[in-house]
Amino acid sequence: MARLPWLDAVLAAGAVPASFVPDASGGRSDAADVTGADVMEGSGLAVHELRHPPLAPSAVTFVDGIQRWAVVGYDGVVPLISAYVAAAARRRTGGRLHTVAEESRRVIVTAEGSLSPPVREALRRSGEPVVDLKDDVPGQPGRTLTAAGMRIERLRESVERAVAEPLADRLPEDEWLVVDGVLSNSKDLASHPRTLGLIKSHGAQYFTGEELRRALMLPPGHRTSVFQPHRHGSQAVYSWYVRIWPWEGHDLLYGLLRVEARADAESIARADAIGAWLVNERKPLSTPDARFDRLLYPIHDVETYLRSRAPLHLVTDPGSRLPPAATAATAATAEPGT
Amino acid sequence: MSVGRVVATELKPATPHQFHFWTARDTSIGIGAIVRVEDPADTERVVFGVVTDAFAYSDLATPLHDVVSADGDPERAGTAPTLRQEIRLWTAAVLRQFPEEPLQPVPLGRVLVASDADVASALRMDAYLTGTQPTGIPVGLYTSGGLEAPVYLDSDFLLGPEAAHLNISGISGLATKTSAVEFLISSIFQHFPAHRGRVAAVCFNVKGSDLCFLDRAGELQEEDRRRYERLGVSPEPFKRVRYYAPFKPDGVNLNTLRTHADLVGDVEPLVWGLREALDFAEVLLNKDDIDAKADAFIDFLKDRVVGQSFDDGFGNQHQVETFADLDALFRAILRGVEDSGRGDMWRTHHVATIRKVRNRLSNISTRCKGLVTDDGAVGDLPWGAFEDRGVYVIDVANVDPLGQDLVFARVVSKLRERLEHRNLGVDVVIVFVDELNKYASGDGPETHVKRMLLDISERGRYLGLALFGAEQFRSQVHRRVVGNAGTQVFGRMDADELATPGYQVLSPATKIKLATLPIGELMVRHPHFTQPIFVRFPRPAVMRGRDGVERFPPAEDLPFEDAIVRQLMKLDRRLKPNVLKDLVGSREQEDVRRALAAVRRARPDDVLAYFRTALGSKVAADVPRERRAVPPLSPISEEPY
Repeated sequence: MARLPWLDAVLAAGAVPASFVPDASGGRSDAADVTGADVMEGSGLAVHELRHPPLAPSAVTFVDGIQRWAVVGYDGVVPLISAYVAAAARRRTGGRLHTVAEESRRVIVTAEGSLSPPVREALRRSGEPVVDLKDDVPGQPGRTLTAAGMRIERLRESVERAVAEPLADRLPEDEWLVVDGVLSNSKDLASHPRTLGLIKSHGAQYFTGEELRRALMLPPGHRTSVFQPHRHGSQAVYSWYVRIWPWEGHDLLYGLLRVEARADAESIARADAIGAWLVNERKPLSTPDARFDRLLYPIHDVETYLRSRAPLHLVTDPGSRLPPAATAATAATAEPGT
Repeated sequence: MSVGRVVATELKPATPHQFHFWTARDTSIGIGAIVRVEDPADTERVVFGVVTDAFAYSDLATPLHDVVSADGDPERAGTAPTLRQEIRLWTAAVLRQFPEEPLQPVPLGRVLVASDADVASALRMDAYLTGTQPTGIPVGLYTSGGLEAPVYLDSDFLLGPEAAHLNISGISGLATKTSAVEFLISSIFQHFPAHRGRVAAVCFNVKGSDLCFLDRAGELQEEDRRRYERLGVSPEPFKRVRYYAPFKPDGVNLNTLRTHADLVGDVEPLVWGLREALDFAEVLLNKDDIDAKADAFIDFLKDRVVGQSFDDGFGNQHQVETFADLDALFRAILRGVEDSGRGDMWRTHHVATIRKVRNRLSNISTRCKGLVTDDGAVGDLPWGAFEDRGVYVIDVANVDPLGQDLVFARVVSKLRERLEHRNLGVDVVIVFVDELNKYASGDGPETHVKRMLLDISERGRYLGLALFGAEQFRSQVHRRVVGNAGTQVFGRMDADELATPGYQVLSPATKIKLATLPIGELMVRHPHFTQPIFVRFPRPAVMRGRDGVERFPPAEDLPFEDAIVRQLMKLDRRLKPNVLKDLVGSREQEDVRRALAAVRRARPDDVLAYFRTALGSKVAADVPRERRAVPPLSPISEEPY
């Protein structure tokens, strides 16, 4: 693998090479806030069977993003992180998906202010974009890496918005836009009449007691009443749960999707049709992804597309994390005659 | 514009001889397509390959997941809103690399459909299509992705001297083997390089009327004409065709399907006498008949008896020219030995051996009646006067197998002998033999014909004798016959045949394509091509046998007199049928046949006079006088005692 030019420069300036891929860098952390919600349909959270014919848009565009990052060096205790985020939109017509927009960014994440002058200078001269962890003073690597992960996630969300928002602006009347994740962090998306957000991770809790029981024990082919989450993101949205696979024998969250749509009466009116549409989207199965019970195939397809275009390695030597001495010893024993 | 991209993984790497590439789902690429790969890092580096296998698969992890997502209902599986990602992955065998050294794995570059020039380059045809003395022979059009590129064989490798022979196999009726050979011979005649001399073809018609109308134009469609034009071959029937056929057992009607009144005049009788038959006695006698003693006696007859004045040692002088003369000699010897009472030997030959040889040889003219005559008449190919671009069709379709063997053995031997001495009239002869399964079977008995075919296969190219053989099952033809064929052609093949070991080198996809090849498409292997290539050839410009028989239905066998009249009028059209009929009307058929043979042999200016002389004067039969009873001198008494 070709070495990263900027990394060569900072190593020459005194940084120490590293090769560490944090566990969370392959996916996204859940927004694990506890909040409440106002039920917007009926007097309390109820269970509705999806009897309406499914919505059948002529074309649907699916948007998703990925993030990858790795610690590639240290300047003292300050990590030097190589990160890659990307998002793509793939439009489905005639059952086939075609890429209509995509964007990616490669950045270096570090606490710039805490770097030694030679390394900082080398980094500056490389011209690579740097995301500065200036508010997070380097301490134990774990804390710094958590902060870096959140910054990278925000970066990924911004790239997703950069891809999705222009598409929403020019979305034809009979087409829909489906975003993997929440809508509430984008004004354009949250206010669009034919844009949906699909949430697979259910870290946020909106209900308690019997209502929570109803939400999490939804039978397959059913939805909850439409509700408006409290203090969720910056934009108001309507939301409801849909169960697309039976959960019995698996887990309460198995096959459970949360849908976000524009905070509008029309969303309530369409909730059944949208729910039925999503149940229909469970085929084909998005295996071998472990989240296939909630990951719709078109979203899986966008992820596959993005992964296929992502750089294979963010670290300089992915082949071995053995210490140098061990590597040398291995090489020595491999020599003929020894 | 690229149609695909080379991909390589650890399990499916690109090698110097094979690579894999993917294309869009809708693509013109198919099995047999020739593609060009360009190295993104080196514009000088180009690789040509031919597609040998194809795969399609989706991202479905296991078929069970499809069942689960459709709730076990196949109908519901068809209603999935999104179609799975799928791939068209192709495997290609490398045809040629530029530069050729160092030989390296195929680069992971873009894949393009080959152009005309690419096809020529990929198949190394540039080596023999360019230069001052090109030797290309159009064999068909490579068609793929809307491209129609002519494919040429190298004459030096098709007809010698570098390599030679062509073998074509395929299912009868679907592989169009005969049509392919007809087209190819036509193409050879039009493109055979001048510096290689004169060329002719000898075709054995062994079934039906396949080769009986090579001089007649067949029906061509516009598509065929376009292909002819693209190949640079003029769509016309053969200009110089001569037909030969033996007589039927009646000795006057020709044993061929080309007996329509308008055509039969072109058919020469193929008739051989004692000497011609004796030269190939081993063909006519089976293995049990021949032992060292019989062989020695036959050699004695050939060397010391036939065609010369011979004293049998019992005071009789013999001039053996015909089977009848030979039989007279045998009778004289056997009677002489018997009368002399000096034991069982005659000139070191045992009487039993003489009797055996007599029995077998005397029978030949009966077993091959119509081909071998016992009166010494000979009708033969124009040895020494073969015409350039001439086709000599020998129709033995209705001749019994023994006769076919004799014809084949003698004609090929003569061709070989003449070519060796450079006095045939042409420098190169193509011998087309169908049904190699019969004549050169891999597991059959060692026959003279098989030995001859092996001999041609192994040594013919030095002489200018090229064997174009056809058969249904290549695996059942003698290995050395097919193995020595420099050019191998395959039409539609039988699936069982494709399962035999000889086809292991072909990919499963290529085999499937071979098993389903449409009429007019062939797979060609040629020394210059590193991989088999599929080509389409136009319908031959000659009348198909089936059409010919419909258009020119064979005539009924003529009555003896009419057949004789026709034979004589062929020699001299001024003759009057009535005069001839009067002449032969009251004569013995055997005498008339003998006289006709004498005329045919002599080819006199005055046919009628010669025929009359040969026929001789009519000898009136003696009417036996009525015998009158002579009365006894003294009447017998009526008294019974």
